Amino acid sequence: MSGINPSTLPWYLSRATGVVALVLMTVVLVLGLLVARNGRLPGLPQFAVTGLHRNLSLLSVVFVAVHIVTAIADSYVSIPITAVIVPLTSGYERLALSLGAVSLDLTLAVIITSLIRSRLNLKTWRAVHLLAYASWPVAWLHGYTAAADLQSGWLFGLAAVCLLAVIAAVAWRLIAAARDIPRAERVGHLMSAVHRRMTGPMPALREPHSHRRTTTGGPR
Amino acid sequence: MRVSTAMPRATTLPRLLPEDGNPESIRAHLARHGRIPYRGNTGVLIRDLEQSGLAGRGGASFPAHRKFASVLENAAKRRVAPVIVANGAEGEPASSKDAALLGLAPHLVLDGIQLAAETLGADRAYLYTHSVKLGDHVRQALAQRHEDLVAVEVVVAPPRFLAGQETALVSHLNGGPAVPTFSPPRPGERGVSGLPTLVQNVETLGHLALIARYGPQWFREVGIPDGSGSLLSTVRRPDGRARVFEVPFGLPLRDLLGDPTWIGAVLLGGYHGTWIHTDQALRLRLDNDSLSAVGASVGAGIVVALPVDACGLIETARSVRYLALESAGQCGPCLNGLPRISAALTDLARCRAGRRTLGDLQRWSGLVAGRGVCHHPDGTVRFVRSALETFAGEVERHMRGQCGATRREPFLPVPSDVARAEEDWV
Repeated sequence: MSGINPSTLPWYLSRATGVVALVLMTVVLVLGLLVARNGRLPGLPQFAVTGLHRNLSLLSVVFVAVHIVTAIADSYVSIPITAVIVPLTSGYERLALSLGAVSLDLTLAVIITSLIRSRLNLKTWRAVHLLAYASWPVAWLHGYTAAADLQSGWLFGLAAVCLLAVIAAVAWRLIAAARDIPRAERVGHLMSAVHRRMTGPMPALREPHSHRRTTTGGPR
Repeated sequence: MRVSTAMPRATTLPRLLPEDGNPESIRAHLARHGRIPYRGNTGVLIRDLEQSGLAGRGGASFPAHRKFASVLENAAKRRVAPVIVANGAEGEPASSKDAALLGLAPHLVLDGIQLAAETLGADRAYLYTHSVKLGDHVRQALAQRHEDLVAVEVVVAPPRFLAGQETALVSHLNGGPAVPTFSPPRPGERGVSGLPTLVQNVETLGHLALIARYGPQWFREVGIPDGSGSLLSTVRRPDGRARVFEVPFGLPLRDLLGDPTWIGAVLLGGYHGTWIHTDQALRLRLDNDSLSAVGASVGAGIVVALPVDACGLIETARSVRYLALESAGQCGPCLNGLPRISAALTDLARCRAGRRTLGDLQRWSGLVAGRGVCHHPDGTVRFVRSALETFAGEVERHMRGQCGATRREPFLPVPSDVARAEEDWV
């Protein structure tokens, strides 16, 4: 039976922060889908949803950083430092760590482009930001394959809930997008909806009197 | 300083438009102004522009030389040739000055495009207009010309209110719908094909062609120090006819409006502009310094005199309905706000307003202003607020179920054609 002591601490810390990072990144992804649809959370204004998305993503980066540093620092298994970002460079858990490296690379691209967003044009930023949808499943697979932790017990339940949450959110996003009224038709829809309640003639008018004393000619 | 023998008398107007009011052929154009005064180098003309004080005539009054200098700098930094666009897409229904200029003096505008292209080292140029007919007219004029440095492609914009907005123009020239896009990057940094793009109103380029010929001092002989030169002004008097005049900056509005007896109120700057009382208007001059006192600006030179027997609220409601329908439907505040504002105004115009209608109008106006990628909501709200102030007496009467107007036919020009699908924007 292993307990937490100085030599096992990095190992436990790495697994724990990995699990927390998974939960955080799940929340970040769902919030991101909400932001993309201009959605709201009960009691929060829209900018707060955006702010939450941003701040939780930065928080998850902190957890991922601890997760990686502790995994490397753990002397029980040897993971070369290059394996952090380069796939297929680790002998230990080659597949899982490659997935982790890929996921980290994608996440870094998303985070860095968001930090310098004001210098990028919107299209570039958006194209890179979409990589988040690739990064999350890879990260999930990394977690699922890296250790037995997520494969049974209540941690399996947690991993399953995260997966279902993301699937549900993406499905909601796709259905909502399919239901979208095309841009050029939106105004017409709203105008007829708003103006529908007003019918009836213009107010009664008095008889018009003629004033047509037309003065023409250019400015003096 | 280049002084042409064809130099007109200093204070003679019109400068841009031919005096006889007939469309000018290349022959008539050359007889009046002589050949294009190319400078043989880039950048030289910008100093003249600065000294002339020429400001953009599209509505924003942005100093022309600063736009030129920034495009030149961006192009040099990236070692690319910039693109020139002459903007004649006059989406504003109350304005017809760009159409008048392109119709009567197309060669002056085309000269301006060539001079701008030489100054900035551009190798591509476009003329962007809102009318198929004018587009054909300009193509015919182009076929008569033999001294052009760059080929000019005529592009016809969809007949949308916002199609002439700078970023909408760039989006359309890049093959997309003519809808405003998020800026920065400004067209001067990344415009057509991602290249630095100079977008100038056609009238601005017409003035440029004159400044290149007769010099900045000549240009300043008309107008006032803060608003140099002349401008084309679309004036609509109570008889309902629109006329385009070339007038000096600083001209008393009284001179443009004619007999004030029949004028109920004055609209300055069109449907993104400002309503003011007639007696206010009679004390003002056509320059930004004077007009800023009533929160108005020269804009694109639109002056409308509402007939005394028309209802300002009915007219405003009709125009705002049009403006709401012309929203590009991209930004929530504009998309959701303008239809509500339009409906409330229509209620008010029809004497069907409830107790909360006025409060709603004020609240919604505050909610949409400054929150779009373009200024459509801001301009619309300015128009609405100034109407509620200027027609405050009429508002009260309408709240009691009465309307003082005796005129039945609509006065302000409002196109009936409405965008229904994406095709209407391309």
